[in-house]
Amino acid sequence: MEELGKIHQLIIPFHGHNLTFNLEAILMMWIVIFLLLLFGFLATRKKGILPEPLQVLGELFVVQFYDLTEDTLGKELSKTYAPLICALFMFLMISNWLGIIPHLDEPTKDLNTPLSLGLMGFCIAHYSGIRAKGIKKYISGYFEPIFFMMPLNLIGELAKVVSISFRLFGNIMGGSIIILVVSYLTFSIVTPPFLNAFFGLFVGTIQAFVFTMLTVVYISVQVK
Amino acid sequence: MILDIQTWVHVAAFVGAGLSIGLGATGAAVGEGYTAAKANFAISRKPEMAGDIFKTMLVGQAVAESASIFALVIAMILLFTEFSADSCIIIPVLLASGLCMGFGAIGSGIGAGYPAGAACEGMARQPAMSGRLTTNMLIGSAVCQTTSIYALVTSLILIYLDFSVRPLSPTWAAVMGAGFASGIGAIGSGIGEGLVAESACAGIARQPSTAAPVTNMMLLGQAVTETTAIYGLLVSFIMMFKVFPASDSIASSMALLGAGLCMGIGALGPGIGEGITARGAVKWIARNESSSASTIRVMLVGQAVSESTGIYALVISLVLIFVI
Repeated sequence: MEELGKIHQLIIPFHGHNLTFNLEAILMMWIVIFLLLLFGFLATRKKGILPEPLQVLGELFVVQFYDLTEDTLGKELSKTYAPLICALFMFLMISNWLGIIPHLDEPTKDLNTPLSLGLMGFCIAHYSGIRAKGIKKYISGYFEPIFFMMPLNLIGELAKVVSISFRLFGNIMGGSIIILVVSYLTFSIVTPPFLNAFFGLFVGTIQAFVFTMLTVVYISVQVK
Repeated sequence: MILDIQTWVHVAAFVGAGLSIGLGATGAAVGEGYTAAKANFAISRKPEMAGDIFKTMLVGQAVAESASIFALVIAMILLFTEFSADSCIIIPVLLASGLCMGFGAIGSGIGAGYPAGAACEGMARQPAMSGRLTTNMLIGSAVCQTTSIYALVTSLILIYLDFSVRPLSPTWAAVMGAGFASGIGAIGSGIGEGLVAESACAGIARQPSTAAPVTNMMLLGQAVTETTAIYGLLVSFIMMFKVFPASDSIASSMALLGAGLCMGIGALGPGIGEGITARGAVKWIARNESSSASTIRVMLVGQAVSESTGIYALVISLVLIFVI
């Protein structure tokens, strides 16, 4: 049970500060990126009016997420944001599925990954808010309904980042801890695969979708 | 009568096991009863669907029961593991892990019963949508279980993390606080998420053409409803993994215990409230899909306002942990 809460880190001293790299998460993330690139290459290699199976899969992703973004953001903005949203979902889904392969870990199990993706969504949402409404109207939004609600509105915005990233992290990390403990207690080869299927494939897909949906909705709240 | 540490460790493990499954059994029982009641109603409404409805009822009840099975697992681990008695800290750890899982299973148990009931009722109303209703019910109740999974994770970390090197005085309070924050904090969100899933199942049966947007909306509403349970998990993670300096004063221990209770109890109300908001939004999207963009926005703003009390609790508990 020593693996619980253990992280492989590379610490490099730099001008009196320590730069910490979580090697496992970085490596796994590169694997995910490589898989995505491979999928993109294979899906578009032989484009045709009679599509190959992989092309159908790719088109399915693109069409679904363009529709989803258009429903929430409208036609104009969806052209800007739909590629991002589609890529975010595919990245998260493959990340969450990676744990079902032995010796590989989900990069989302490390809090740094969801937190940085959450911060990315936060920055994009606020940037698009400023661009759509203008800086004056954007700032005055924080002083509603009364001016002294400003600190609470600020904390509320920051809490969104915490909740969106901890939701993903908690689910994926929780699933892997449960699989670890159950495998340790039972030594069986029957139960862990089912748990992997539930927490990896099912919960992983749902949480990837929820994360993506929330990012779209946070953008739409800022824009409108 | 000899009262050494070993005896007290046993006492804590037994009390923890009892609390875990005792509290954990209540929620699932209520939820399953609700499902069965709705199934009775549905069968009397459409007797020819009796077989399908009965099957759905059993599947839904099995999902609702998983929260109390988590509690059973924790109780078994507490009963049958031999815990080392070289430090007194193991006593509050075992108690906290039992309490955490016990409380955490209540909300999900009650909550997961709602979508199952609505799915049974929906099958009587719209037999053609049975497959879609079952899928939606399973997704909804699986998301509903996440809060009890958070509690399970906290209990497992409490049991398997080594606290013996840390100073006893504030750590016992941090451990108990972590259990309360994650456990009690899971109740409200569990019930709230169940309410959302219920109205999604009812909406799909009412208006089959809106099935896809209703499921999306349900996931969104449930995700936001879950936020306060996540704050509970966050606070308990901080209290479990931060090493607090030794202190003889009772005040620092009480601050940590208070932080856990504050976050736990503070998360109860917002969880249920946000669930009620999202239930309404999902219900009305099923009736009038064309207004979904503005409904989503109003739902999110309403949930944000309802959640602000949970954020106050989070702020106070972080102040109690880091400032005092």
